[in-house]
Amino acid sequence: MPNHTKEKELTVGFIGNPNCGKTTLFNAFTGANLKVANWPGVTVERVEGSTVYKGRTLRLIDLPGIYSLTSYSIEEKVSRKCIVEENIDVIINVVDASSLERNLYLTLQLLEMGKPVILALNMMDIVEERGMEIDLHRLPEMLGGIPVVPVSARKRSGLDVLLHAVLHHYEEGVGDRVVHYEPELEEAIARTETALKEQYGELTHSRWYAIKLLEQDEEIIQYYPKGAVSPEINYEKQIIHQKYNYIDEIIEDTLFHKDSKAQATDKVDQVLTHPVWGVPIFLGIMALVFFMTFTVGDFLKGYFETGLEIFSGAASSVLTSLGVAAWLRSLLVDGIIAGVGGILTFLPNIFILFLALAFLEDSGYMARVAYIMDGIMSMLGLSGKAFLPMVLGFGCTVPAVMATRALEKEKDRKRTILITPFMSCSARLPIYVLFADMFFGKYAMLAAYSLYLAGVLAAIGTALVLSRIDKERAEGTLLIELPEYKSPNARTIAIYVWEKVKDYLTKAGTTIFLASIILWFLLNFNFHGMTEQVSESFGAGIGRILEPILKPAGLGMWQIGVALISGISAKEVVVSSFSVLFGIGNINSAAGMTELSSMLSNVGFTGLNAYALMIFCLLYTPCVATIATIKKETHSVKWTLGMLLFQLVFAWLMAVLVYQIGGIFF
Amino acid sequence: MTLYEGNIGSVYVVKGIHLDQDTITRRLEALGLNEMTKLQIQNRKRGGAFIIKVRGTRLAIGKRIAQGIEVEEVKEDA
Repeated sequence: MPNHTKEKELTVGFIGNPNCGKTTLFNAFTGANLKVANWPGVTVERVEGSTVYKGRTLRLIDLPGIYSLTSYSIEEKVSRKCIVEENIDVIINVVDASSLERNLYLTLQLLEMGKPVILALNMMDIVEERGMEIDLHRLPEMLGGIPVVPVSARKRSGLDVLLHAVLHHYEEGVGDRVVHYEPELEEAIARTETALKEQYGELTHSRWYAIKLLEQDEEIIQYYPKGAVSPEINYEKQIIHQKYNYIDEIIEDTLFHKDSKAQATDKVDQVLTHPVWGVPIFLGIMALVFFMTFTVGDFLKGYFETGLEIFSGAASSVLTSLGVAAWLRSLLVDGIIAGVGGILTFLPNIFILFLALAFLEDSGYMARVAYIMDGIMSMLGLSGKAFLPMVLGFGCTVPAVMATRALEKEKDRKRTILITPFMSCSARLPIYVLFADMFFGKYAMLAAYSLYLAGVLAAIGTALVLSRIDKERAEGTLLIELPEYKSPNARTIAIYVWEKVKDYLTKAGTTIFLASIILWFLLNFNFHGMTEQVSESFGAGIGRILEPILKPAGLGMWQIGVALISGISAKEVVVSSFSVLFGIGNINSAAGMTELSSMLSNVGFTGLNAYALMIFCLLYTPCVATIATIKKETHSVKWTLGMLLFQLVFAWLMAVLVYQIGGIFF
Repeated sequence: MTLYEGNIGSVYVVKGIHLDQDTITRRLEALGLNEMTKLQIQNRKRGGAFIIKVRGTRLAIGKRIAQGIEVEEVKEDA
């Protein structure tokens, strides 16, 4: 029908508990390259995509996974605000059918909001596997007649039926009374509704607002502050209880053969969350992850290097034969290809690291880490949940900082944000790979491991000191859901890893590209124009200012000063700076390394200096992207600046310690 | 008794939740842990966190929370 295209675009909100497969389902529709993870707090911001069904454009919004519509956490506030204010036409409530009982609690709250709701019953395959049965006729009846559509996000089945339901159901609307509370409560709701209408006129979701007011919800009380409306007694407990009572009725009526089969997850958990072996197993898994990152990554890296060498050589000769001016050739070959290309050769290491992290996330193991590490984190005054952002920090600090949103208390968040940059992110990997390979020979991997360990120790030490200064602690307040283990989904992992690889490539193409050009300019120009003598360039001038400060750490070379400053744009740039600074085309190749290490050795730069440099790179100011994220998440310039100062001083102190103490022995 | 005194494998019914932080109480309730809810201890660490099963879901909860949940043991086949 031609008039379809003229119809209004529909806005569909995806909402559900954490781990219900909501984001996977969302991805199945939009193909958006989103991050899907298996613990709370992944969709920290809402994400949008769109799809066309039967000529109708549907705007899809993926909201953070939440358990209820209260306003206790950032995620809940984001979701709720979006539903109330964004004119969402239809809500797709994704539920994990294998854990229907808990998932329905959110459903009942959504129904109270009075917007059209469609229930997407996900993970029906697990339900069948376990020999459970769900009465698909009775369930919608008990939920006020809303459509209930079985889907499988992983197998991509039921998707069209779901969209069909969206188109049909959106016009029908829904009654807002599914749960009938006990008379006393219903009377209170009716009273509040009347009072609301008297003071604020006709409201669209008056029953919902009334219920929220009876729960003394902070945000809603702010919107409707008038005295007569806000009730004296807090009915929240009764409201929750009576909802769950109704859920008990639903489960009684619709779910059969509950838990008839033993669950594989319990057996796996007996091993992986073992009171004694849990921690060693986790450490073993992480060691394996990094072992793979270095060995398999290094193996693949060889091919990249050969490729880069050929490309660089070819580019140089083509440019020469085309008669391109010397300065432009220098910019392209010495600046851009050396800087950006050098970084690209580390892609295999990064790829393997993220592949491993994706595996851990998607299998359901990551949430267990919070439980396993809770004991150790308690000693630091934090809950085990704070460990998750730290593990994520091995990948990239930016999402790790955002993941701290899952922590309820502001103070815990800030503490965790402060220590997360100490976890060696993948951008620091190239620095370790390069310098460890150059100076530590067969002990290279050990040297690199030790830096990861040093980072973890720095984080733990900082947290420990903070917990001693400030006595208020969050220990023992861990509360996290442990999802079912599942075999990782190829599509989910592919999306996750591709997203990371894309980020890395984008960074190489933008930040590192720009940094390389700026660096090239600084190194080839001075006040008199272009110069042949690098040591007389702008860059050298800037670096020399830092020389005396860095000298006690064994880093008293102007080139290192320049490399470290450039490294703030992105940590990989430290490496690309070295290639540009020392004019080495392919820094990650055997030949390039020999060249650089002999250049450095000539000026007395030894393994000890290299180690001090790596320590400094590990601990000093994180990259611009991280700083911006931290500023955004803490809403405090002052706090962010304080953090930067702390990291700089700490890095300098540690590097000096390493160099001075090491100097006694070596 | 409190949940903290419970044993692995045993089933308990919640008698009350007494925590100094109301937000955690509400959160537990939203997760389906209310008075009269049955739960089973799946795993625990000495002096540390617990894994419990409530309404078909596994929750990891810290020591302090476990100490604030009042429970009564029920016989498995009840």
